[in-house]
Amino acid sequence: MDENRSDNILRAALGHNDPAAVELMWDRYGKDLLTFLQATLCSKHDAEDVLQTVFVRIVRKRHRLAGARCLDAYVYRIARNEAYRLISSRKRDQKAQGTTESWLIVSESNREPSDLAEQLQTALAQLPQPQREVIIMKIYRQKTFLEISRLLGLSQNTVASRYRYGIEKLQNLLGNLTL
Amino acid sequence: MNEKDLENDKIERLLRRAHPSEPSPLLKERITTEARKAWDQTSLEMPWQIPIRRLVASAAAAVLIISIVNFSSDHTLKKWRPGDAQVTRKKLPDLETLPEMPYRPFVRHMVSVNRRPSLTNASALRDYTERVRQVLNEMQQNGASNGQTLDGGRSRLFPAQPVSDSYS
Repeated sequence: MDENRSDNILRAALGHNDPAAVELMWDRYGKDLLTFLQATLCSKHDAEDVLQTVFVRIVRKRHRLAGARCLDAYVYRIARNEAYRLISSRKRDQKAQGTTESWLIVSESNREPSDLAEQLQTALAQLPQPQREVIIMKIYRQKTFLEISRLLGLSQNTVASRYRYGIEKLQNLLGNLTL
Repeated sequence: MNEKDLENDKIERLLRRAHPSEPSPLLKERITTEARKAWDQTSLEMPWQIPIRRLVASAAAAVLIISIVNFSSDHTLKKWRPGDAQVTRKKLPDLETLPEMPYRPFVRHMVSVNRRPSLTNASALRDYTERVRQVLNEMQQNGASNGQTLDGGRSRLFPAQPVSDSYS
């Protein structure tokens, strides 16, 4: 419900053309969108660039955004479109996907194998993009299936099945690491 | 909890050992600065202005299309125009100057009738037929007095039809 409240405050600021909306937008969506974009693009650098484009686009469409029925879904849609645009241009330019770039980090408090982040990243990169998006949102942003389905405009069953298939694939890919 | 769920749980715990990198303060500064610049650059566009602007744009587009079509139509039809039309009026022959011709009063009458608007109602048609009959009678009487009798008792009003025996 806290998210709803901050969405309403943000909506009001956008509607009143208040530049403070930029800060509010960052506080509300900055982390979530960066994680989502990293999962989609498998690249920290690209995700940061796309996040900037997304914020600029949101600012330009601020009046439309203020009147949007689901503010968060609208914001995610913009982020998704921008990410897909970059993926398309990558395909056109025949550029390799930035899988070698580190976007997952291991918590410092844990004594984990140094290559754990790399192995997880490689395994996640092998998943189909829709499954990866759902897993990242569920595991790292603690979103429920219902929230993910609303944000991505999918049915809850689709989201749940994508998650299940993705986890099954990860079991095969990371079987030896779980021991 | 079955074995599959336990496996899933293990994978989830493994994934949670790592986490995506958080946005740095530098990134926040960069993005918010760019967003503010975009905010200032974007003109203040109130939501109610959007439909009005669309309406104006649609009207302008419609006017432009109609003008183009008119121009194109004029251009295409230009070569089919005859230019200045030469109006010629056919002068009707003066009946008085015509050489003597048989049934002249009747011809004159027919010409005058042709110049009138067509007869449409029954009474007018009846009057007209009556007048024609009178004219013909007068002509016959005049012809008789001038010694110009009808050939073989047949009227010269109609062309002489040969007596056809073709059916016999």
